[in-house]
Amino acid sequence: MKRLNTRLITPQLCAVILLIMLPLVSVLGLMTGPVFIPLSDILSIMLAGDGAANGSNSQEKLIIEIIRLPRVMLSLIVGALLAACGALLQGLFRNPLADPALIGVSAGASVGASSVIVFGSMVNSGGVMLGLSAISMGAFGGAIVASVIIYRLATGPQGTSVATMLLAGIAISALAGAATNTLSYLADNDMLRRISLWQMGNLQGASWERVGLGALTAGCLAVLIPRETGALNAMLLGESEARHLGINVEWLKRRLIIYSALGVAISVAIAGVIAFVGLMVPHLIRLLVGPDHRSLLPLSALAGAILLVAADALARVVIAPAELPVGIVTSLLGAPFFLWLLVLQRGRS
Amino acid sequence: MLKTNSVGLTISAVPLLNNISIDCPRGSVTALMGPNGAGKTSLLKVIAGEHKASQGRVEINGQSREDWKQSEIAKFMAVLPQSSTLEFAFTAQEVVALGRTPHATGLLRDAEIITGALAKVDASYLAQRSFVQLSGGEKQRVQLARVLAQIWEHCEGDSATDGILLLDEPSAAFDLAHQLMLIEIVQQIAARGVTVVMVMHDLNLAAKCADQMVFMNCGQCTAVGTVKELLTPELIAKVFSVDAEVITHPLQGTPMVVV
Repeated sequence: MKRLNTRLITPQLCAVILLIMLPLVSVLGLMTGPVFIPLSDILSIMLAGDGAANGSNSQEKLIIEIIRLPRVMLSLIVGALLAACGALLQGLFRNPLADPALIGVSAGASVGASSVIVFGSMVNSGGVMLGLSAISMGAFGGAIVASVIIYRLATGPQGTSVATMLLAGIAISALAGAATNTLSYLADNDMLRRISLWQMGNLQGASWERVGLGALTAGCLAVLIPRETGALNAMLLGESEARHLGINVEWLKRRLIIYSALGVAISVAIAGVIAFVGLMVPHLIRLLVGPDHRSLLPLSALAGAILLVAADALARVVIAPAELPVGIVTSLLGAPFFLWLLVLQRGRS
Repeated sequence: MLKTNSVGLTISAVPLLNNISIDCPRGSVTALMGPNGAGKTSLLKVIAGEHKASQGRVEINGQSREDWKQSEIAKFMAVLPQSSTLEFAFTAQEVVALGRTPHATGLLRDAEIITGALAKVDASYLAQRSFVQLSGGEKQRVQLARVLAQIWEHCEGDSATDGILLLDEPSAAFDLAHQLMLIEIVQQIAARGVTVVMVMHDLNLAAKCADQMVFMNCGQCTAVGTVKELLTPELIAKVFSVDAEVITHPLQGTPMVVV
């Protein structure tokens, strides 16, 4: 039996394809919505800058500048963050089925957001910091608290056990789920609707402040994470093997947990719970180009960004003028594609 | 090169090792032998730094094990564990490439080393295959290539420092031809100055390449000596509870255990 390559495509080819798709999908995202803006107008608005805006064009310019551009940028950032953090966690847990929900971040964020929705109306909920509403702050707080609890539970004198962390994550998620359900039970109809909409993920609240916050987080992670890719590859062999290869495994685990908790918490805070991206995108890229984190992480970030922009564009048009929560669309789009890849993979092996 | 001084190990109040002292000079091959649960793997793990010795200490190059930085020690000491649980579809070649993690020798040099290491364990034809689809013996050969790649300069005899290779039941999954291949590799790299410590179950295989045998039982070191000194019916009966005859190999003159 001689099979020369077990991979579908090379990382270089994958990068080229994704880099071509990224601007195309972004422009598509700018075009679509309740008001359709043709490509020619978008190009003239983007290229012309401040000058020569006339009539309907100035209205389109406002839509692009205030609504669509920040929204597309936010989708790019959140998609990239979720997918890259998913890839990090799958490497850390040495489990291709790990996803951000496993370390309790999403469940913790739900409790935080729901608490603010239910109890926030009693207090003054008008405060906005860094472009984040009180609900977003609640989500971020809940996400961080949950991941700290799980990390502390899994860390003993022998170091952090990722197996314990997985179990603790499941338990804390169940506990947080119960808390969220209790809050939903206490909530009135309007609150209930807001809670369930928040849990489906939403990019409607896009603003330049949120873009800035997301970009700052993504930028920091983009500098920090590439340093860990070699060590992450060695970690896939096993923790003691990685140690024998000269890696300080305890510190590595700590850094990876902080990076992924931060990335997921920020994206949950600005866009709610968006399922599927963190689990499926890295898995998909791994099927295409293999598990090497040096290519897996950047390619996952690119593909996650593309997926979320496309999903958000679709979310705005399928039931226009209303909007579908983007979390529903990511699952609807991605799950069949992922299943198709699995079948393809099964056929090859 | 490598010494354990009265090493003891207790984990969760269970004593696993007690007062083990062995001395492995540069370029020697030491075989750790004994029944299941004798503490062979535990001793290897203490040497590898996975467990900290509860009593006594391990010395590497005259320096206490704990004083070495892990990133420094990884440049000259490689460890092959009993089994591997890699579940990600790296190619065999990529797995071997991970062995170069502690070094910064550049992609070109690493590619040469990876090819050389795969050839050495008779696994060149596996280079592009997905690791998860290999058989047990093939996986173990690829892992062996990985640890050889980690200390390749030492294995080739062109390093200023001396290498250490720890192997935990390396031949367990190998067919007969590859068991002999392993013995040949061990002899070759030991002749070039690499100190080898390995856990082995096959007395005859160990007799072919070991300079020193260590018989262990219940966390104690029962006997240490050369192959000729240790392979006696009395000691084998005492350590393994098996009645065996020891005869001489008709051609090679090495002792052979017949059960």
